[in-house]
Amino acid sequence: MKFKNWIKTIIFYEILVGMKATLKHLLHYRPITLQYPHEKRSLPDSYRGMLSLLRYDDGTEKCVGCDLCEAACPSRVIKVISAEVPGEPTKRYAKEYYMDMTRCLFCGLCVDACPVDALGMTREYEWAVYDKRQLYLNKEQLLAIGDRAFPVREKRLELQHPNVAFFNVAFTHLPPKSS
Amino acid sequence: MVEVGVKIALSLTQIAVVMGVVLLTVMFLTLAERKVLGWMQDRMGPMEVGPYGVLQPVADGLKLFFKEDIVPAGANKFLFSMAPILALVPALIGFAVIPFGPDMTVEVFGVQFKPFVITDINVGILYILAFTSIGAYGIILGGWASNSKYSLLGGLRSAAQVISYELNVGLAIVGVLLLAGSLSLVKITEAQTGWFWNWFIFAPPFPQIFAFVVYIISAVAETNRLPFDLPEAESELVAGFFTEYSGMRFAFFFLAEYANMILVSCIAAALFLGGWNAPAPFLQFHGSLAHLLWLSGTIWFAVKVYFFLFLFFWLRATLPRLRYDQLMRFGWKVMLPIALGNILITSIAAYLFPRS
Repeated sequence: MKFKNWIKTIIFYEILVGMKATLKHLLHYRPITLQYPHEKRSLPDSYRGMLSLLRYDDGTEKCVGCDLCEAACPSRVIKVISAEVPGEPTKRYAKEYYMDMTRCLFCGLCVDACPVDALGMTREYEWAVYDKRQLYLNKEQLLAIGDRAFPVREKRLELQHPNVAFFNVAFTHLPPKSS
Repeated sequence: MVEVGVKIALSLTQIAVVMGVVLLTVMFLTLAERKVLGWMQDRMGPMEVGPYGVLQPVADGLKLFFKEDIVPAGANKFLFSMAPILALVPALIGFAVIPFGPDMTVEVFGVQFKPFVITDINVGILYILAFTSIGAYGIILGGWASNSKYSLLGGLRSAAQVISYELNVGLAIVGVLLLAGSLSLVKITEAQTGWFWNWFIFAPPFPQIFAFVVYIISAVAETNRLPFDLPEAESELVAGFFTEYSGMRFAFFFLAEYANMILVSCIAAALFLGGWNAPAPFLQFHGSLAHLLWLSGTIWFAVKVYFFLFLFFWLRATLPRLRYDQLMRFGWKVMLPIALGNILITSIAAYLFPRS
């Protein structure tokens, strides 16, 4: 046993084993590298990327200006300035909507908090910019992100199903009751 | 008069060709090292410049050429500029005595001319050892002149390491010199003609395999390559002795390191693996193709040199860096006794069974 160990020492046995391992990797060359800008990794289904504001299929904004997202956000990314829809006193909307994406930690709590599903998380992640002020997004930019990320839009809530609960709706859009 | 002119012209052409080949090999090595290391570590290596990154050395060279040349405040400007040259010139000058191919003589305009060795001086190997020692000055002066603690520490480490391992290189070579009976690399190579058991690594009466291993390990240490790259240990000393260097001066140090690698590989191939000799005589061009002997000879030499260069990359991909006390203990307490014992046994064997 001692002799065996001595032989192993003088022929650098451990080093030879290591060199065999590296040579094996060289001969069975199977890189795990992804050439990132040229080829991209497939994202998991529940990937939480850039935030966006959504619209209904008729082009009106979903957001009702309730401020729940602002309350839910743990890092105070969101700033909502709510206002009445002009001419429709029962209906509110977000007059201004800002997101400071430099602080966002993509937890998705705002999306969970939204009662009308007006917020969505896209699968975009390439948002490196040269000036970090470009990451302070306003409502138009957020809506634009939503437009390009979610081409299939929902119908208005009141038109989705006869029994769906809805609020903040001016009743002129309702179909006339049959009874 | 014409004869002298022709002689000078031939020598200059030869020098230019050898320098060109060496620098091209350095260029190729920078790419090959990154690629081989990448492949061994399941990466791809450089892939962006050109197809599969083959133009990466050109891009690196251009980048280094256009970089700002900074001399740090408080640096000794003269020595700071001298050090890269002192490191590079000895590394390149050693190629003057390397036999790249068969020892043949060509007559050009009435001048005897040996195309595959620039000059066959009778103390060739001593000449190389002497000049590689001067290379250590470049490193230590560069470290000292930079006026930076990392550079100084790197330079000191490098000097201590180069000196202690150069001793082992010298002693490992002695066994071969005893068997060959000459210091000229051309004569040493010629003493190994024939089958591969005539190579000094296997040669009777006493195989120089121990000397070979000592030489390889010491050569890796002497060229400051991993696992002995303490002078430029980036995790401890930023970049060691060339921390403060940039642009072309950095490129000179870089070239010197790679030229040294090629030089020690050439010496190893010439001394231990029979230089331009093939493992078996029938693997050279012979018979009716004997006039092409130089071609197969240079190819065999290149194969051996590239095997050693690959070994350098292979070791680098495999081994972690040694601690400094381990390095010194290994050099003085393990390598040196083995080399001395090898000399003793080889000299006894060479006395009892002299090579005919």
